[in-house]
Amino acid sequence: MNSALKGRLIALRPAIFRHEFILLLVVAVEWFYFNSVGSRFGSIDNTFDILRHSVEIGLIALVMTPVILTGGIDLSVGSLLGLCAVFFGKFWRDFGFPIELAGLGALAVGAAGGGLNAWLIGSMRLPPLIVTLGTFSLFRGLAEAMTHGVDTFTNFPARFLHLGQERFLGLPAQAPVFLFTALFTWVLLHKTTWGRSCRAVGFSREGSLYAGLPVARRLAGVYVLTGVVVGLAAVIYTSRLGQAKADAGTGYELFAITAVVLGGTSIFGGTGTVHGTLLGVAALAILNNGLVHARQPREVAGMLTGLLLILALSASALPRLAGRMLDRLKAAKKQNQRNL
Amino acid sequence: MKKFSRELAVAGTLIALLLFMAVAAPSFFHPRPLLSLLTREAPVLVLACGVALVILTRQIDISIGSQFAVCSVCAGLMMAAKIPLALVVPATALLGICLGTINGLLVAGLGLPSIVVTLATMVTWREGLRWLRQGQFVTLPENTQWFGLGQESGQVLLVVASLLILAGLAWGCRNLHAGRRLYAVGSDAEAARLAGIEPRTVTFFCFAFMGMLCGMAAIMNVVQSPQVDPKSGTGLELRAIAAVVVGGVSISGGRGTLWGVLAGVLLLACISPALTHLHVAAYWDKAIQGAVILLAVMADGLQNRRRPAGGKEH
Repeated sequence: MNSALKGRLIALRPAIFRHEFILLLVVAVEWFYFNSVGSRFGSIDNTFDILRHSVEIGLIALVMTPVILTGGIDLSVGSLLGLCAVFFGKFWRDFGFPIELAGLGALAVGAAGGGLNAWLIGSMRLPPLIVTLGTFSLFRGLAEAMTHGVDTFTNFPARFLHLGQERFLGLPAQAPVFLFTALFTWVLLHKTTWGRSCRAVGFSREGSLYAGLPVARRLAGVYVLTGVVVGLAAVIYTSRLGQAKADAGTGYELFAITAVVLGGTSIFGGTGTVHGTLLGVAALAILNNGLVHARQPREVAGMLTGLLLILALSASALPRLAGRMLDRLKAAKKQNQRNL
Repeated sequence: MKKFSRELAVAGTLIALLLFMAVAAPSFFHPRPLLSLLTREAPVLVLACGVALVILTRQIDISIGSQFAVCSVCAGLMMAAKIPLALVVPATALLGICLGTINGLLVAGLGLPSIVVTLATMVTWREGLRWLRQGQFVTLPENTQWFGLGQESGQVLLVVASLLILAGLAWGCRNLHAGRRLYAVGSDAEAARLAGIEPRTVTFFCFAFMGMLCGMAAIMNVVQSPQVDPKSGTGLELRAIAAVVVGGVSISGGRGTLWGVLAGVLLLACISPALTHLHVAAYWDKAIQGAVILLAVMADGLQNRRRPAGGKEH
């Protein structure tokens, strides 16, 4: 192969083999497949339905991206969503707050919960996996203790339920909130020094420390941001379902992490994109909705999610594996020549 | 003594809790409910031992709850098909090994991060089981509960078996080549490799062994009730990891003992019945468990901070 062609191929490679591109193909294939199988899958109504149902998971996945970028993880988001929803209901029903103030209160509770994670991970330098495993139990336990495990908050005012169930400018009413948050996170992570330093921390915490980056403050910021957005997701969740219960958001942490990793963010931190995460959320949401329209049981969607995750990971590991084998072959060849 | 200060701290907390219960609510120590409590915790102890080994090698396995459920249901189906118990036990252990091998191949063979791999297998097994069983319980034949022994002797047998597994593994970790290798790989994989240990082989066998322990724990669970719930084991992975961390095994690998894990399992197990005996409402249970985990990890952090410079970065 002549060198010019080789150079062009190398230049082309990243665009084709980039994770997001492959994922975009997967989303497209899913779309066309389910469109041909299910009768009303491709309709506008159903598209909005998918959007409506993936807003909360999407919001959490968006802010989970910077968390994983810094090399951390947050298992407590689902529990925190439950706690925020319960607080929201309590503020409105038992304390008599107006609904807007109750919403702000839920965001504040989210910030406080995220702040606890932030303090333990940022200032105390404890491992995120274990800290958020602890707060995973703690937040859900507090939500259960506050409602005695049975209390459910309902009968929210109609204008509040509009946010989760009606349309605004033709779109599902919560869609603008989601789009705004997505844009905000994208700019934050891709266009600001704040986002760049998150990557640096994930790439090498020690190195960023020596480079003079405020590592503890950056980590704290990431987890507080997560808490606030989880509070927002809790408000939207409550308005979509019209009720707040202690078990709200169970299992959301796994969905969000799956979407982020599927979107190409390295679980070790340092690399990843927000648009990748959005594609990951889309791939999961379309798969879940499409299989229902194809009259497949829900469980198949769960199984395929797991398999898709393994496949995506293996695909990204294969070039590395092939490279290692090539190196070994080359070394063996050299050894042979030396022996001759 | 100083070497085991972390384990002693957990054991001390446990003893303090037990002493407090002896004064505040002596009814806590009625032998019958206490034996039932220990029996319920026997499978958790076996799983926690396995998780401790996995965490010692600096990996993690969150698919154990799903593996446990798959093994439980398969063991139940085999028992319902009148296959003798002497065959069911090794067959279930073998099934566990197969499930663990898949994790091991993906983690050690392809070099994928264990938390994501086991997240994926956790979802896949759980949903696959739900799909095949549709939430149906498996009803066991008459004489299989408690291995066909009476309830009390069956309970004692399970508790003793789990303690034997723990003691054997604790001995092996200190005295066998395989056990020392776990610590070597967990402390520093590259140094272990230079010393002639293949870290990937150790990791692989660790996951396979974890699978086998899932199978054994599943048997211990199945014989406790007349039916097998396909949802059994939900959230068990987090309970086991929590017990391991409370017991002083370092999440960054290479540090901890299985005796600490025993103390951790017992401490977390005692919280819920202790609350009941103290007339605190049971729904505080989860919050207190979370607080205990956070306190344990904070104690670890403070201990590490006091150590001179050069300590490991988490």
